[in-house]
Amino acid sequence: MKRGDSLYRRLLGWLLLPLLVLGSLILIQAWVDAQRTADRAFDRLLEAASLAIAEQVQWQDDRLWLDLPPAALEMLATDAQERVFYSLVDRQGRLITGNALLPGDPRQGAEDEDTLLYRHIDWQGLSLRQGVRRTRVEDWRVREPFEVRVAHSREGRDALAARLWRANLAMILAMAALATVGLLLAIRAALTPLTRLRRAIRARDPRTLAPLELSLPRELAELRDTVNELLARMRRVRANQERFIGDASHQLRTPLAGLSARAELALRQDDPMRWKEALIAMQATSARTARLAVQLLSLTRLANPEYRPDRVPVELNALACQAVRDHWASCHRQGVDLGVETAGDEVWIHGIDWLLAEAIGNLIDNASRYGGRCVTVKVEHCPPRLIVEDDGPGIPEPRRMLMLRPFHRDRDDLAGSGLGLAIVDGIARTHGARLQLSTGHDGRGLRVVLQFPGDTS
Amino acid sequence: MNRPSRVASRWLLLISLVVTHAVADETLHYPAAPDSGPATSLVVHGALDLPQMQPLLEGFHRQNPDVAVRYRNLTTLALHERFLAAPDEADVLLSSAMAWQYRLANEGHARALASPAAQHWPAWARWRHELFAITFEPIVMVVNQAVIERFGEVRGHADLLALLERHAGALQGRVVTYDPATSGAGYTYAIEESRLSPRYWDLVAALGKAETALADTTAEMLDGLIEGRYLVGYNLLGSYAQERLANQPQLRIVVPEDYALVTQRLALIPRQAPHPQAAERFLDYLISETGQTVLARETPLGAIHPALDGPGTATALRQARGEALRPIAVGPGLLATLDDLKREALLTRWQREFARGE
Repeated sequence: MKRGDSLYRRLLGWLLLPLLVLGSLILIQAWVDAQRTADRAFDRLLEAASLAIAEQVQWQDDRLWLDLPPAALEMLATDAQERVFYSLVDRQGRLITGNALLPGDPRQGAEDEDTLLYRHIDWQGLSLRQGVRRTRVEDWRVREPFEVRVAHSREGRDALAARLWRANLAMILAMAALATVGLLLAIRAALTPLTRLRRAIRARDPRTLAPLELSLPRELAELRDTVNELLARMRRVRANQERFIGDASHQLRTPLAGLSARAELALRQDDPMRWKEALIAMQATSARTARLAVQLLSLTRLANPEYRPDRVPVELNALACQAVRDHWASCHRQGVDLGVETAGDEVWIHGIDWLLAEAIGNLIDNASRYGGRCVTVKVEHCPPRLIVEDDGPGIPEPRRMLMLRPFHRDRDDLAGSGLGLAIVDGIARTHGARLQLSTGHDGRGLRVVLQFPGDTS
Repeated sequence: MNRPSRVASRWLLLISLVVTHAVADETLHYPAAPDSGPATSLVVHGALDLPQMQPLLEGFHRQNPDVAVRYRNLTTLALHERFLAAPDEADVLLSSAMAWQYRLANEGHARALASPAAQHWPAWARWRHELFAITFEPIVMVVNQAVIERFGEVRGHADLLALLERHAGALQGRVVTYDPATSGAGYTYAIEESRLSPRYWDLVAALGKAETALADTTAEMLDGLIEGRYLVGYNLLGSYAQERLANQPQLRIVVPEDYALVTQRLALIPRQAPHPQAAERFLDYLISETGQTVLARETPLGAIHPALDGPGTATALRQARGEALRPIAVGPGLLATLDDLKREALLTRWQREFARGE
C-alpha cells in the first residue's frame, strides 16, 4: 500500500494544510499588528516632542524664535538610543533652526488648521519615522504658520515590534501544537468505528451469511447496511441453489426409479417380446434423462454469473433457418407445421451462436410439446428480434413469470423437463436481451420474443 | 606600569614632535617597527594636548608595533571642520566638544565598535556602540588660600554665591570664569548648569556684580590665578587645573559638593575611516583596562573603566563626591547645545543677568 493511501494520513494532510496556511496568515497578521502597535506607541513620542518644541516657538524681532527645550529631543530617544533629528521651518519652507532639513508635509492643508502627520522617510540613507506638526504662532497681531518636523530612527520601534511579535509567536506556536495534538486525537477517535467494523468482519465465521449487528456512525452504518444487503442477496442465491439442486435430484431420481422398476418388471417375465418392449421404453426414458442432464448442465452454466463466453457476430436469419432445418424432421413426424419468416436484410448481433440455436430449439420443442400445431420462427429487424410463435393453448398472463423458473411445468406431463423456458431466459440474460411472453397474433397460442439490444450492425 | 623605561625611551627617540604655532598643527608620529610584519597605519585626530596623549599612544604602540600611528592635535573647532571637509582622513576622532562629536554620530558618521570591551562599557559613557566617553573630568573651582583664610571655606556653588554676594567689593575683578559667548566649553557648561538649577542665574548675576573677568580657556584662567591676578576661578577643567596646580599650594582645587559637572572626551571611528581595523584596535585599547590604567596613572584625565579604582579614576571620584557628580549626558540633549537660536537665547539671557549684577 502506498503511504498516501492511508485514510489517517489523508485526513491529517487535508486538515493540517489549511491549518498551516491559516497559521502563516496569523503570523503575518501578528507581524503587521506588532509593527502598527509599536508605531502607535512611538508616534506618541513624536507627537509630544513636536508639541514641546512648537510650544516654545515665538514671534520675536519680526521672525520666528525658538528656545529649544533639550528635553524635547531627549524624549525622542528611548533606551534604544535612536538617532534624533528636528527642524523648524517657516511658511516659505526655510529652515529656521534644526540639525537637519527634513522633508515637510506634502499635503496642502488649510493654513488655519493644526495638523500632525506621521510617516516613514528615507533620509540620507537612514530609515526614519517622521512627525510633521503644522501649526502657527498666535500673537496679538501676527499669525505666522510654521512646521515642526521631528524624526528618529527605528531601532526602538523595531525592538518593540520584535518583542510583541515574539510574544505572539510563542502563543501562536503553542496554539498550533495544541491544535495538532487535538487533530491527531480527533482523527484517531473518528476512525475507531472503522477498526471496530473491520474487527467485527474478521471475527465472523466465514461460512455464516448472517447480517452484521453493531452500532456505527451514520456513514459507516450505510456501509454496514450495504454489506448486509449483499449478504441477504447471497442468502437468497444460496437458497435458490439449494432448491435447484433438490429439484434437480428429484427430477433425476424419478426417471431412474422408473427405469429400475421397468427393468425389475421385465426380469420377472420370460417372454423376450416383453423384454424388448421394456428395453425400448427404458431407452426412451434414459434418452429423456440424458437430455434432462444436458439441460441442467447448460442451465447451471448460464446461471453462473462468472460465465462470460466470447460473443461473435451472428446473423439471425441464417441462425433461424438452420434451427428450422434441424428441427423440421422431428416436427414433421409429430405432425407439427414448422415455418420460418426471415427479415429482408441481414440481421447481425453479437452473440453466441450455439446458445441461440439451443434457445430456438427449446422454444420449438416447447411449442410442439404443449399442443402447438403450427410453429413459426421469425426474425425482425430494427430492433433485432427473434420470435417463436405457436397456435397452442398458450399460457395465461399471471402464470407467465412462473414459467421461467426451473422445473415449473404448466401441467403434468412426463415428456417435458420443465427447464426449457428457464434455459431460454438464461440465454437471453447472457445476451443482455429482453424475453417477452405474450399471446399469439390472433389471440391464440404463445408468442416468445427475444429482443436484442442495439441496432443491426 | 613602568614609567619611561628602556623600552619606552627607545620609542621616544622615534617621536617626531612638530609644534607649529601658526597653524596649531602639533603631531606625534610612531612608525611601525620594521620587523613586525605587514604594517598598517592609523591616523588619530584629537583635541588633547600632546603630553596627555603621549603615554596613551606609547602604550598602544607597545601593544601594536605593526601600526604606524600619526596623531594630530587640533582645537575642537578645527578638528570638527577638518572632519567635515575630509571625512575620510582620520581613523579616530577624539574631542572634548561633546555636542559636535554627538552630532556626527547622530547623523550616522560613526562606525559601530562591537568588541567585548565595547559591549561592557558603561551605558552612561557611550552612545550606541558608536560614541565612547573615555575620560572623566570634573569641572572645578580654584580658590586662592587667602580667600579661604579671610572668608571661610568655599565648598560648593551655594558657598560661592554667598561669597560673591557678601564680598563683591573685596573680589571686584578678582574672579574669573569662561566667557560663554566666545568659548564653546563655557557655553556648554552654562547651558547644562541653567538646566540643573534656576539659581544658576543668581550666580551669573553675582558674577556680574563682582565684575568677573571672562576668559576663553582654562589655561588662560590658570595663568591669571597662578600670577595672583585672580583669587577665584569658576568652572575650570579639572584635569588641566590638577596638572598645572600640582606645585601651587596657595591655590586649592574645589570639586563642588552640591553639584559638579563632569565633562567627557568622546571618541568615535568615522564611517569612512581609511584604516578601520587599526582604528578599532585603537579605540578598543582606549576603553580597555590597559589603556584606562595609563589614562588614570599617567594623565590627569580620569579613567572611566569600572574595574579601576584609586586616584585618577571615576570610581574614586564617585566615592568622594557621590551623587553630586553630574556627568554631561551623552544624548540628544546635546543637540540643543548646537542650536543657533538656543545659543542666541541663552547668551542673551546670560548677558542680561550678568549685566543686571553690575
